[in-house]
Amino acid sequence: MSSFLLLLQISFRNIFSSFLNVVIGLIILVGTLFFVVGGSLLASIDKGMSRSIIGSIGGDAQVYQASSKDSPAIFEGWQIPDLDPIPDFSKIKGPLLSNPNVKSVVPEGINTAIVVYGNTIDQILEKLRKAVSPGSKQPREKVESLKAHVRQMVSVIQTDMAKLDKVASKGSFDPDAAKDLTKASSSEFWKGFDRDPFNHLEFLENKIAYLIPDSDQIFLSYVGTDLDVFAKAFDRMQIVDGTAVPPGHRGMLLSKYVYEEMFKLKSAHRLDKIHEALTEKGKKIAQDPDLQDLVKQNKLQTREIVLQLDPLSSQKAVSLLQNNLGLKETDLPKLLSAFFDTDDANFEGRYKVFYDQLAPLVELYRLKPGETLTIKAYTKSGVVSAVNIKIYGTFQFKGLEKSDVAGGMSLMDIMSFRDLYGYVTPEKMAETKSLEKEAGVKFVARDNAEADLFGGSSSVVQETTQKKINDKAELGGAKVKRVNLTEQVYSTEEMEKGVAMGAAILLKDSSKLKLTMKELQEISDRQGLGLKVIDWQTAAGYLGKFILVSKIILYLATAIIFVVALVIINNAMVMATLQRVREIGTMRAIGARKGFVLGMVLTETVVLGLAFGTVGAALGSAFVLWLSRHGIGAFNDAFYFFFSGPRLYPDLSIGSLVMAFIVVVMVTCISALYPALMATRVSPIQAMASDD
Amino acid sequence: MADIVSIQDVYKDYPLDKVVVPALRGVSLSVKQGDFLSIVGPSGSGKTTLLNLIGCVDVATKGTVLIDGHDTKSLNDHQLTDLRLNTLGFIFQSFNLVPVLSVFQNVEFPLLLQRRLTPAERAKRVDELLVKVGLDKHSLHRPSELSGGQRQRVAIARALVTRPKIVLADEPTANLDSVTGENIIDLMKEMNREEKTTFIFSTHDAKVMSHANSVIKLADGKIADGKPVRDKAAGKKVKAGKH
Repeated sequence: MSSFLLLLQISFRNIFSSFLNVVIGLIILVGTLFFVVGGSLLASIDKGMSRSIIGSIGGDAQVYQASSKDSPAIFEGWQIPDLDPIPDFSKIKGPLLSNPNVKSVVPEGINTAIVVYGNTIDQILEKLRKAVSPGSKQPREKVESLKAHVRQMVSVIQTDMAKLDKVASKGSFDPDAAKDLTKASSSEFWKGFDRDPFNHLEFLENKIAYLIPDSDQIFLSYVGTDLDVFAKAFDRMQIVDGTAVPPGHRGMLLSKYVYEEMFKLKSAHRLDKIHEALTEKGKKIAQDPDLQDLVKQNKLQTREIVLQLDPLSSQKAVSLLQNNLGLKETDLPKLLSAFFDTDDANFEGRYKVFYDQLAPLVELYRLKPGETLTIKAYTKSGVVSAVNIKIYGTFQFKGLEKSDVAGGMSLMDIMSFRDLYGYVTPEKMAETKSLEKEAGVKFVARDNAEADLFGGSSSVVQETTQKKINDKAELGGAKVKRVNLTEQVYSTEEMEKGVAMGAAILLKDSSKLKLTMKELQEISDRQGLGLKVIDWQTAAGYLGKFILVSKIILYLATAIIFVVALVIINNAMVMATLQRVREIGTMRAIGARKGFVLGMVLTETVVLGLAFGTVGAALGSAFVLWLSRHGIGAFNDAFYFFFSGPRLYPDLSIGSLVMAFIVVVMVTCISALYPALMATRVSPIQAMASDD
Repeated sequence: MADIVSIQDVYKDYPLDKVVVPALRGVSLSVKQGDFLSIVGPSGSGKTTLLNLIGCVDVATKGTVLIDGHDTKSLNDHQLTDLRLNTLGFIFQSFNLVPVLSVFQNVEFPLLLQRRLTPAERAKRVDELLVKVGLDKHSLHRPSELSGGQRQRVAIARALVTRPKIVLADEPTANLDSVTGENIIDLMKEMNREEKTTFIFSTHDAKVMSHANSVIKLADGKIADGKPVRDKAAGKKVKAGKH
C-alpha cells in the first residue's frame, strides 16, 4: 500500500516535471473535453429530437401492418413508404390500449397531394365570372372594378411580351398570342363584354390567362388522422389561425409553416424572413449574402403585387409609395422596386409601411381559413382521386414553429384521407361485384379482346337515337341524393372502423419504451393482429438515423484524436523514459524489481491521463453547464427540430463523462505499454554510468 | 571472520562492435566483513567494472563472484535484485537521487521496496539516519534544494537504511570539492565503525584513498602488482591475486 502511495506520489510529482508530460496532458485534456462536450451535445440533440418526433406526429412508437414492404418513414416527405393498410383500425385500438403504459393510440396515414392553383389572372377571372353570373348580387361597380383589373393585367402582359420580343430570339413569342393580347386590350372587346360575358371570359381564360406563368402547383404532405384524438394526444399542437376541425367533421388544418411558405404573398414572406434575421438573429443585410439575395428578389419580383392590384388600388399604391419614398415616379413596378430596395437603415421602417399601408391593398394569403381546397392525390393503384376539403385553419407544434421538418405536415381528417387513399374495403369490393353482375359486365381476356368486342356476324350492336338522358328512368326510379360531405358528421365508431396506414402510440412513461414495445408486439402476435411495432427513431426514417450517424462521426473523430494522441503519447513516453534511464537504473540498482518499474511507468501515465482527463472533463462539464444555462440558438430552421425548439439547452451526459474516463485510461495505458516495457529493460548498470 | 566478498579469477569482457574489450583480466579478491576498502587505479583500469560485479549489477564473463556466500552467476534477475536490495547499498558518483522525492522519501525508498517494516518503523529508522548524516532538518527538501555534499549524505543514508552488509561507492567524492569530499569519507568511515558495514569504494583521489583500511590497485584490468596491499592504518592484509 505504502509503495503504491509512493508510486502515486512519484506520478503526481512527475506530471509537471517535463515539458513532454505537459504536451501529453494537453492532448488528453483536449480529447476529453471534446468527448464530454460532443457526447453531451449529441445526447441532448438526441433527447430534443426524440421530443420533436414523439411530440409531433411520431409518438413514442408506431405500429403498422407487418406484411408491408417498407416501414414507416414519417419525415421523409415525398418518399411515401409502401405500407399495407390496417383494414380496420377499431380492431387494433382496443388491444393496444389494453397495455397499461399506453396513453393513446392515434390512427395515422401519411400521403402527399397536389393542389393546383390557377394563376393570378385565373383567380380574378373566376371572381368576375361569379360577379356576372345570373343571380349574383355584386354591385355594378364591383364588376367594373374587376373588368378594369383584368384589363390592367392584360396591359401588364402586353408590356412583358413587348420586352420579351426585344430580348428573346425570333419566334419565341407566338404571333397568335400577340393578336389575342391586342384583341383583349381593345376597347371593342370590352364594349362587347357586357353583352356576352361568358364567351369573353372563355376567351380570356383560354387565350390570355396561360400567358402568365405564375400558376402554382403546391405539394402538400399530410397526415390523415382522427383530428380530435390527435390534438389530445399531441399536446404541443396549437391552432394558430382559424379554428380546429369540429369533432367528427371532415376538414383540414394546414401547417402554419407550409401556410407561410406556400400560401403567403412571396414578397411579404421574404420581408418576414429579412425581418426575423435582423431582429431575432442579429444579422445585417450588408453582411449577409442570403439577405441581400432576398432583397434582390423582392426588387425584381414585383409582378405578383402589380397583378393583384386593380386600377384603383394601383393608384393608391402609387400614391403611398411616392409619399414614403419621396419620389415623383408614377410607374408602379419601378416604385415597388425602389420600395423593396432595402438596407439595414431603412428596412424596419419599410417593413412597417408594407404591413400598415400596402398589405391592406393586396391579398396576403391566397387561401384563407374557411375556404375550400381541392386536393388531388394518387391512390395506391396509381389513379388520381380528388376531394374538396374545407381548410379550417392553421396549426403548429409549440417550440417547433420554425421547423420545416415538423412543419412540413398538414393534418387531414381520416375520412377524407381514406377517400384520397382509395382503399377498397371488402364491403366496397362486394358492392362493386354485385353492380357488375347486375349490369352484366363481362370479363374480356386480352387474347380474345378483339373478337369479343368487335367480332360476330352483325356490324351493328345496338341502334340508338339522340335524346335527353332520363336520370330517373336510368336509375330505376331511385332519387339522386346529393350529400354535402363537408357538413357530414361522423361518429367515433365510423371514423375508427376503417383503414389506417398505421398508428402512433403515445406512452405514459416513455422510459419504458423498449419493454412496452415488446409487450405490444406480444399482444399483436398473440391476437393475430399482424402488426409490427417500431420505436420513434426507426419510424422517423433518415432523421432517426441522423443521431446514429452523428454519434458515429463523433466517435470516429474522437477515435482519430485518441489514435493520434496514442501515437504522440507513445513517442513522448519513449523519450521521457530515455531521459530517465539513470533514475530507473538507480531504482533497479537499489533493489526495485522489473515489475515495480513497469507499474511505476504505467501508474505515472494513468495518473497523468486521469489528472489532465479530469481537468478536460471538468472544463467540458463547465462548458456544457454554461451552455445549459445560456442555450445554443438554432442555426437555421432545420435545427428547430433537432433542438426541439429555438434553443438547445444541453444536459451534461454522465454516460459521456464515464466513457471519456474509460477511453482516457485505455488510451494512456496502451500508449504507455511499450515505454513501460522499455523501462523494465533498463539495466541497473546504467546507474553506475558517469555523467560524461 | 568469513569473507563477505570473494572474487576468484574473474574476467569481464565487453563486446565493442566486432572487437572484444577485456575490462577485467583474472582478478581475485576477498573482503572481510567490516572492511573499509578502496579500489584505486587510473581511468579504464576496471574499477567500476569490479564494483559492478560486486554490486550484482553485472555478471562476470568468467570466474566466480561470491557475495555473502551467493554465487552471482547462479542467480536470476529477481534473486540478484533481492540480493542488491537486502545485502548491498549503493553510493553513486552523481548521487542518483530521485528528483521528485523529498530527502525523507529518497531514504525511505529502499525500505518501501523491502516491505518489511511498518510505516512507523520506517519513519523511525529514516529519521535516525538523517540525524546521523546531519540532514534531519532537511527531510522535506527536494534534492535540487541541497548542495552536492548534502545530496551525497542523502545517498549515504539511503545506502545504509536497509542495514546492508556491504556498501559500494563508485567515486563518491568525484563530484564534490575536496573539503566536502573529506567530510563524506569521514562520514562513511564513521558508519563503517558504528554499523560495522563493509565499505568498498573506488577512487583515484590519493587523499581519499589514504582513509581506506585496505587498498586494491588496478591497472589494465588486473590487480596492479599481484602483491597483497598492506593496510597502513589498521595493518590488515587484503588477499589479492593475479592469475
